Amino acid sequence: MVPIAYYLVLSALLFSIGAGAFLIKRNIITVFMSIELMLNAVNLSFVAFAYQWHAIRGQIFVFFVMVVAAAEAAVGLAIIIAVYRTRNTLNVDQIDLMKL
Amino acid sequence: MTGTSYRELLLLALPQTVVVLAGLIALALDLSLFRNSTNRVRFSAGAAIACAGSLAAGCCILLSQTHGAIQTFQNGMLLSNPLTHLIQIALLLLAVLTILLSIDSTFTDHIGEYILLILLATAGMMFLVSTEDLLLIFVSLELLSLCLYVLTGFNKHSVHSAEAALKYFLFGGMSAAFLLFGFSYLYGLSGSTNLVRIAAATEGSVMDPLLMVAIVMTVTGFGFKVAAVPFHLWSPDAYEGAPAPAAAFIASASKVASFFIFAQVMVLGFAGTAGNAGWNVRAPGWAPLVAVVAALSLVLGNVAALAQKSVKRLLAYSAIAHAGYMLLAIVSHTQQSIAALLYYVLTYALTTIGAFGVVAVVEHQTGGDKLSDFAGLSRRAPLPSMCMLVFLLSLAGIPPLAGFFGKFYLFSAALAGTTASLSLLWLVILAVAMSAVSLYYYLQVLKRIYVEQPPADAAPIQISILSQIVLCLIAAIIILLGCAPNLLLRLIQNALNAIIA
Amino acid sequence: MLAWTIYVSFLAAAVLLLLPENSARLARMIALIAATAGLLIVLETLATHHSGELISVAHIPWIPSLGITYHLASDGISMVLLLLTGIVAVAGILFSWNVEHRTREFFALYLALIGGVYGVFLSFDLFLLFVFYEIAIIPKYFLIAIWGSTRKEYGAMKLALYSFVGSAMVLIGIVAAYVVAGSRTTSLEELARFPFPVHFQMWAFPLVFVGFAILAGLWPFHTWAPTGHVAAPTGASMLLAGVVMKLGAYGCLRVAMMLFPLGMDPWGFHILFLNSWRDVFALLAVIGIVYGAMVALVQEDFKFVIGYSSVSHMGFVLLGLMTLNRIGLDGAILQMFSHGVIGGLLFAVVGRMVYDRTHTRDLAALEKLHLSKVIPFAAVTFVIASMASIGLPGFSGFVAELQILIGAWRAFPTAALLAGIGLAVGFAYTWRVMQKAFFGSSALAGDSALAGDSVLAAPAVHTPPPPITLPERVGAILLLGASLAVGLYPQMLLNLIIPALNSPLFEGLRKASWQ
Repeated sequence: MVPIAYYLVLSALLFSIGAGAFLIKRNIITVFMSIELMLNAVNLSFVAFAYQWHAIRGQIFVFFVMVVAAAEAAVGLAIIIAVYRTRNTLNVDQIDLMKL
Repeated sequence: MTGTSYRELLLLALPQTVVVLAGLIALALDLSLFRNSTNRVRFSAGAAIACAGSLAAGCCILLSQTHGAIQTFQNGMLLSNPLTHLIQIALLLLAVLTILLSIDSTFTDHIGEYILLILLATAGMMFLVSTEDLLLIFVSLELLSLCLYVLTGFNKHSVHSAEAALKYFLFGGMSAAFLLFGFSYLYGLSGSTNLVRIAAATEGSVMDPLLMVAIVMTVTGFGFKVAAVPFHLWSPDAYEGAPAPAAAFIASASKVASFFIFAQVMVLGFAGTAGNAGWNVRAPGWAPLVAVVAALSLVLGNVAALAQKSVKRLLAYSAIAHAGYMLLAIVSHTQQSIAALLYYVLTYALTTIGAFGVVAVVEHQTGGDKLSDFAGLSRRAPLPSMCMLVFLLSLAGIPPLAGFFGKFYLFSAALAGTTASLSLLWLVILAVAMSAVSLYYYLQVLKRIYVEQPPADAAPIQISILSQIVLCLIAAIIILLGCAPNLLLRLIQNALNAIIA
Repeated sequence: MLAWTIYVSFLAAAVLLLLPENSARLARMIALIAATAGLLIVLETLATHHSGELISVAHIPWIPSLGITYHLASDGISMVLLLLTGIVAVAGILFSWNVEHRTREFFALYLALIGGVYGVFLSFDLFLLFVFYEIAIIPKYFLIAIWGSTRKEYGAMKLALYSFVGSAMVLIGIVAAYVVAGSRTTSLEELARFPFPVHFQMWAFPLVFVGFAILAGLWPFHTWAPTGHVAAPTGASMLLAGVVMKLGAYGCLRVAMMLFPLGMDPWGFHILFLNSWRDVFALLAVIGIVYGAMVALVQEDFKFVIGYSSVSHMGFVLLGLMTLNRIGLDGAILQMFSHGVIGGLLFAVVGRMVYDRTHTRDLAALEKLHLSKVIPFAAVTFVIASMASIGLPGFSGFVAELQILIGAWRAFPTAALLAGIGLAVGFAYTWRVMQKAFFGSSALAGDSALAGDSVLAAPAVHTPPPPITLPERVGAILLLGASLAVGLYPQMLLNLIIPALNSPLFEGLRKASWQ
């Protein structure tokens, strides 16, 4: 049996990759995907913990996260389309009308 | 899951249900009956339905208060007690004020959707403040956030609006992931998603690395929601780009709900791991972490606000600074300071909604929200100017306005603390010093309004009677709560006493 | 009854705001009536309570769960300052009779400021006192920024920020005191009885004292005063010098010294020759006296001379407070009254009688105008006021400064000597400014005066200035009369002050350091 720590390390790794990509990547779609990656990393750790505790709550939580992620995708893509229509670019660096 | 009573559930969630129903009715009517009416008629009809719905929801809350004050459903999944009632009513009031203040606006043709989104967000907030369970916290927080993202980008003609929505969405999505990551570790440590059980399981294990990660992640996630430094980057852009009423809603109602749940999670869920942020009695835990965030917010919010030219942006930075004051109350987390936090956040929300209301009026007439657009406003629109005077001075903490008492109570409660009295003095001194700085930029706006002459071609500003009434009403409440703080304070203290007893 | 001084002022301010746009005459009348009503109420109370006992005016719970009460009361010290406020408020309105720009707003802010000042002097609850203290900040800002002259926005902002920084320091002190005393009460009487720990008083005292003293013009935090006074319109600079600076000094006495008397105890070690906060503040006060006078001596702007002289005179007040002996404290409170009346009058002469007529305050330009011939009333008023200001016997300044010097001689002999030098310099700058402003002495100007065309030859004035109006005369006589009355019969105020200082409120101060 695989110890729980392995799952947690994998989850933390995925989460870090997601967070890193969020900061580094310049294409909005990629940035958006990195958020999804972070959410899925969390799902992994939820499932692992649920398995460890033998409690169903964690798995239920994962379903909710998935549903919310889908809703977020819908809203997010709509906003991205709105931005693309007005600006004709998907590069975050060029979306800079407002600065300090 | 035995013994789930759907009747009980429905009763507990009745106010939220009513609010959502009102939103759906507003949308349906707007798309059918009023399809060919003018925008003004559609907005009035929608607002009327929303007000009626909120009123009905408020009545449900008050009625449930009379029979059986404290109820919980499924171990704190859904709560109903005097405190949640108070906050829910305040949220409804703020939603109604937002809708009333947006009747004049012309930024959208999708009026039914606009009202539905505000009401959905309100329902999300009402769920958010009435739960002790991580699952419902997460879901309702997302319901709230998703509505707010759309509201921010609601002005389809404005480039700024879409950009603001994008930034808000990206940062909000990331913060949700951080929060969720923290939640997953809390669940892993305790095997439960209930805050009270989590606290029992984690008591005294501050140095556990998993718990430390959970604390940092949770604080980060909520830090984004309440726009505290260094997680504030989205907020000035979102406030500036969003249509003024939407910005008002983000700055007021969502602040109330976010701060309430932030305090709830910290005080209930991390009850045993607070540590101490006192100068001479430091101990690891979440309190020092929040204290650092509070200090950074106070300094950066106030200093950055000094340089702003756009009033909405200025209010955004001032919101960051105010988040710093409120975090101070969370750091000291006594019953008194939670009462102070609630008083502060409720009066702050009212004040901000009013200030954005005036900005909306100016923006509507002059097409901008730059400081120069406010020049000589007192000659062009005396009544809104007077209201703005009240709002900004209350934000600056000048008596006899609500903001002053909020600050006094907050500082004294924070100083009293639990362990060593005066141990948070360093943070209070910083907060008071920064409030002196804040007077400068509020006076900059007031100087434009009252001291400078209006531009030569300026006509008097036309404002609908309704907006004037709403603004004056808010200003009157702020003066009243400043002169007689006891009116609200007693409610808060009674509610807190009731749930603790 | 006394509480109505506050209510009348605020009510009248509210009424003024509701008036139609162009009702300047009505606005003036309402303001004058309200201010006179305030003065009459104070006088009426004085007629019945002239022995300085504590009169409780209103005492109702305000925020019971925090122990905050709405407690208005007055002892002898408050009475003296209430009287001062009444007199200066009426005179200030008389000297603002010619304000034509946004008149009703001017008087509304003016009365709001007055109401706040009355409130501070009447508050016997720390929270309430602070509320009124801060209410006074905002009207000051607008009065200067809208109706001021030279660099008005700079002066106004500087004043507002200095005041707010000061009140922030005070706020920290009073919140800490409230918490240390158990978060149960903000009543001044109860807090005065509470034994605050010495180490707490040691930092709370300087914090609160400096916070208030910023407004009293303590060197080196005085820099708002000259710029603010100069920028302010006449009525506002009269209020600033006349009563607002006294708010600061009053707060020093009523809050800092009364609540934290042990903060003035010796530290137990020396830094140079300083041994306690008391020494430090006495030193700063003396520096203020000498520095203010010296700087006034070289100013070229008439109003700056008076502005710096205010700093110098307020230095006497602070020095008197720090002597901690009876005669010094008596003198300090008398000096508050005396400088309030005389300082107000000097600003009225400069701002209203001279500047509004000649449109210059440059002493070199004024020297050519021979104002003593053009507006003799102004010259006479100024001469008498200056005499009162430098402490000629018969005027209030003499009694006050003499007592302070005696007190200081007993407490800090060196400081008394230095303050004496300050007095001498005061004589010099007063003489100089009188000479230059009213009795132009240059040979050229004298010649042209003989030729009879001095007025026409003057660069700034092409037509003879309008004569001194009735309101100005009444205001000047009112202020001069007050100063003379106190100078000739100081017992009138001392009868109020001495019992107040003997009251249980100052028990701690007497026990801690009375000599």
